Amino acid sequence: MENRESRENIDRFMEEQRKRIEELEQEKAALKEALIAAEEANKAKSRFLSNMSHDIRTPMNAIMGMTSIGLSHIDEKARVHDCLGKIQTAASHLMSLVNDVLDMSRIDSDRLTLNEEPFSLADLIHDISVIVRPQAAQKNQGLKIEIGRIEEENIIGDPLHLRQVLVNIIGNAVKYTQDGGEISVQFAQRYAKADPPEEKGAEDVAAAQETAGSMEARMVWLDFCCKDNGIGMSPEFLQKIFIPFERVHSEATSKIEGTGLGMSIVKNLVERMNGEILVESEEGAGSCFTVHLPMATAPQETTALHLPTGAAVLIAENRKERAGQMARYLREAGLVSVHQEKGAQAVTWLTQAQYEGHMPCAMLLGEELSDMQPLHLASHVRQLAGREFPILLVSEADWVQLEYRATRAGVNGFVPCPLFKSRLLGTLAELLGGMGSDDNSVKQELDYSDRRILLVEDIELNQEIAVELLSVTGVQVEVADDGAQAVKKFSDAPEGYYDLIFMDIHMPVMDGYEATRQIRSMERADAAAVWIVAMTADAFVEDVRQAKEAGMNEHISKPVEPGRLQEILYRQFSG
Amino acid sequence: MQPYQEEYIANLREIAALAARKKTEGYTFESYQTELAKNRNRIAGKVERNMELLRAGLFPLLDHLPESGEEELQELQEFAGRLFQVGEELDVGLFCQIHQALLNCARLKKDQAGMIRELYWLGIGRNNRCSKLVGLDYSVVENYVFEMRLCFTEAGAYLKYFDEIEDSETRGYILRARANTALGQYASASGKIQRVRQTLQILQDRYYQEKEPGLPWERYIFMAHRQMASSISYSRENVMTAEDVEAVMESVYIVYQANMQEAAKRGERPPIHSAFNYYAISYYCGLDTMDGLLSKTEHLMDTTEISDFTSENMYGLISLPAFYLQYLKQFPERIPGRAEYIENLYRRILDYVEVFPDAPENEMLFLYLRQLANNYVETANSIPYGAFLLKLIMRFAPDIYIQSYIVAKAAAVFCDILMAEEPEFFDDIEQIREVQDLEEKRHEVRKYAMACGLLHDAGKINFINLYTQTGRQWFEEEYEMTRLHTIVGESCLRECASTCRYAAAALGHHSWYDGSRGYPAVYERLECRERQMVDVISLIDWLENVTDAQCLYTGVKMTFDAAVKTAVSLEGRRFSPLLTARLRDGQIVAQLEKAFAEGRREACRQLYEEDFLFNHPAK
Repeated sequence: MENRESRENIDRFMEEQRKRIEELEQEKAALKEALIAAEEANKAKSRFLSNMSHDIRTPMNAIMGMTSIGLSHIDEKARVHDCLGKIQTAASHLMSLVNDVLDMSRIDSDRLTLNEEPFSLADLIHDISVIVRPQAAQKNQGLKIEIGRIEEENIIGDPLHLRQVLVNIIGNAVKYTQDGGEISVQFAQRYAKADPPEEKGAEDVAAAQETAGSMEARMVWLDFCCKDNGIGMSPEFLQKIFIPFERVHSEATSKIEGTGLGMSIVKNLVERMNGEILVESEEGAGSCFTVHLPMATAPQETTALHLPTGAAVLIAENRKERAGQMARYLREAGLVSVHQEKGAQAVTWLTQAQYEGHMPCAMLLGEELSDMQPLHLASHVRQLAGREFPILLVSEADWVQLEYRATRAGVNGFVPCPLFKSRLLGTLAELLGGMGSDDNSVKQELDYSDRRILLVEDIELNQEIAVELLSVTGVQVEVADDGAQAVKKFSDAPEGYYDLIFMDIHMPVMDGYEATRQIRSMERADAAAVWIVAMTADAFVEDVRQAKEAGMNEHISKPVEPGRLQEILYRQFSG
Repeated sequence: MQPYQEEYIANLREIAALAARKKTEGYTFESYQTELAKNRNRIAGKVERNMELLRAGLFPLLDHLPESGEEELQELQEFAGRLFQVGEELDVGLFCQIHQALLNCARLKKDQAGMIRELYWLGIGRNNRCSKLVGLDYSVVENYVFEMRLCFTEAGAYLKYFDEIEDSETRGYILRARANTALGQYASASGKIQRVRQTLQILQDRYYQEKEPGLPWERYIFMAHRQMASSISYSRENVMTAEDVEAVMESVYIVYQANMQEAAKRGERPPIHSAFNYYAISYYCGLDTMDGLLSKTEHLMDTTEISDFTSENMYGLISLPAFYLQYLKQFPERIPGRAEYIENLYRRILDYVEVFPDAPENEMLFLYLRQLANNYVETANSIPYGAFLLKLIMRFAPDIYIQSYIVAKAAAVFCDILMAEEPEFFDDIEQIREVQDLEEKRHEVRKYAMACGLLHDAGKINFINLYTQTGRQWFEEEYEMTRLHTIVGESCLRECASTCRYAAAALGHHSWYDGSRGYPAVYERLECRERQMVDVISLIDWLENVTDAQCLYTGVKMTFDAAVKTAVSLEGRRFSPLLTARLRDGQIVAQLEKAFAEGRREACRQLYEEDFLFNHPAK
């Protein structure tokens, strides 16, 4: 009995001891883990301090050195000014270092919260442009910031942190691209339905729309891409790009300042915004960063723009893409654009428009013309068109730098680039002021559905293109395949049936000259009056003259520009 | 014309005569100097009177132009026409002002014929401004070219309504304006050639000719061919396409044939201008070698006469050498074999301009001289480029020479003072730093200051009329244009080995010390190794300008003491504090004032002797 009791006691004791040993083992393991963690933390701290001491020392050296040079040349204002400029640069770099460290610390400790507030994408991109352009200009780099299709300009998100992400990526492109290199930045949007890269993000952000109080908000994806032809990255480094304190180390980058925290912060922020960031790079060839972010749309401003629908606007710009963008925005607002690439052409067109009494309601002046400085054109147009004529400068340049010269040259409005529709139309509407839609004297309808055109063209594809271009105005188009058919159609139709004829020149059966001659010789009131436009690739003076001699009123060359066609319709039907 | 308009023109002529270099015949040096001072006072009086005339007569009229009667407008046009006509440039600035006002008036009245006419004349006036910018980069002159070209473009745009505009005078203006859109520099030779080709197409189009048979079509076409032929001068620096060469060749041939026939009829020698174009295009077509072209050009230059002042001879003697030298610059290996020829060429040119009658009014002469000054080639024994420029300035702008000499003299004195206190003051300049001996170093600095002072305004050679013959204060656009003398001067001086050291002074002497203002923008003080010397020239030149030189044209005039005080007040902004600090010392100021006075006297002495020596070479 006693034996049994004592065995039970021993067993209990043994059990307790085993438990104790287990507990001790666990404690030991926990302590070991804690030790490793402490050692890791210590190493990280040392690494951090080592990196930071170098990175802080560099700008501090500059600040101290420049201060001492400045003090020793205190009488030479220009020298002191130069030193202060350098001190300012170093100090702002130092500040950005401190900010990066604080951000990283907030992210690590989960103390970073993102705001959800409505903001304007146009303002955001403009701010980014103002920040990064001077950096690129200093290195003589070509920095293109382009806007693709933008569905919603007002969106909901954290503009401050979004700006930080984008400025960081573009800033890196500038840093790691050689002098004179090229950097291309693109922004675009698509509605969330259209193949988002990660479905999970859309739902999370959808909640944000309620936070912002919008019942009608929809989801859009903001696609951002920054591509450069800089030094690029090796495949090994590409694996570590988002790890804190990692930087490209090479001879080319030894003088480039930075903590190596930037990309890590960017990645964290993008992920917290439920987006994704992708990098492609090739050493020596350049890098491409792509960011996709889901965003809720904010309610659009409902203020109606008072624009004289159907009125013409002259675009003077050599850059085809930019001019195309302006034309598209104008078209969407019901305005007709006329595009000229050269200053001389713009002056010629305006002179003739003035003579014919169909002046455009404004001129959009781009930042590049193929034959002269835009401000010289502005100055001449101001004299030609008078004091009231609105001239809007559409430019990437900093308006503050440009304002004095531009206003002196006669520019009375400025639209910054990257170009947003809201800004362009808003500024235009503001300048046109009294020319709003209530003003009957200038109100022009682009709807020409009560007008009829005879299109004489033998090539089917050309017919299709022309009909397509003309049909946006609602005008009724009838087609004749050759000159003989055109003559017949015209003679069979009642008087005044056709308002305008577009006549090809080289056609089978009967050419355009003969057809025009026959139409003009008909004994009916509209035979002499109907406006006939030659549409041909023959553009020599002789061809123009021949067309006129045959009785045509004007001449346009093929391939036909849509703007030119619309301009003719506008002049004939509205002007 | 109104009496005030007649008087204004008479005053302009008188000012031009007074500003020209005075002959020494019958004068001792003292009486010569007194006479120069009297002339200056007379000029000042005339300028003042002209300002009164404009203020009382012209400006009120321009203010109320739309209400003016037809007769008044007619008189105004006649007045403008007298200010600037073929071969005589009395006051192109006022010519442009009047035509600008007439254009504004025509726009206001929606008078199309008036607009076209005034655009044409304004374009002509602006073209004259462009011609002053020979030798400068296109980027510098393009603004002036645009302004001119836009006037012609707008007037030429009415070609579309040739049928509807029935007035034949206006039709003539439209065609001429259309043709003139090809005037001036283009970014590429092809652009210009293409433009002239289009003009020729229009002019040769029977449609237009039949509409207006009364217009001098043959002359228009000939002028367009001449314009095309002259494109060759723009093409030297650019590669012409085969199509361009063909177009130019055809025009050169037409002009050459016509001129040959004309000359044969009059029993004169073949015209030099078209002969040269003919030879040049033969070279471009591969029909001749560069040596062949150079020899033929030499032959043409040899046919000129030093006593012949016709435009053709003037071209052969001054402009043709400019083209000849330009070729040699392109092929420098051909210079040594022609060194003696070049040296004689310069001597002939200087002799020629010395005796040229009524030179100040001859715009063509100045255009050719500008071309030559921009293509100068120095050889071992040729007159140094700097000396050549100074000779031209002494001949045509004695006042500018006097001012430059005063700046040189005072700058040398001031530098000597600086060197006595701080021998290493100019050590940023390599050639100075290398000199070890202190006395020798001071001498070097004085010499350098003297040369910088003498040549700092070399660029004014492009704007001689503006500086010496403007019979009133400058208009804003003229003032703006004169600022280009810094860039012109630098671009001239940097080209020759003997003058490149002085280019910085020419470029930077109107720049502010702190870079906040002044001109030109391309001068960056901290980047310039010669900046200490540029600072000196800048300060002394400013003192000279406000106390004397430009007061007639800018309306700013101070006493020497007031100027010094103002300079000190601009310390650290306009002027280097290292220099203005010295202006606080009364003794130094007195030394400078004395140098100014002595400089004037010495410069006058040099002018006197220059003329005396030329007219009495045996003595």
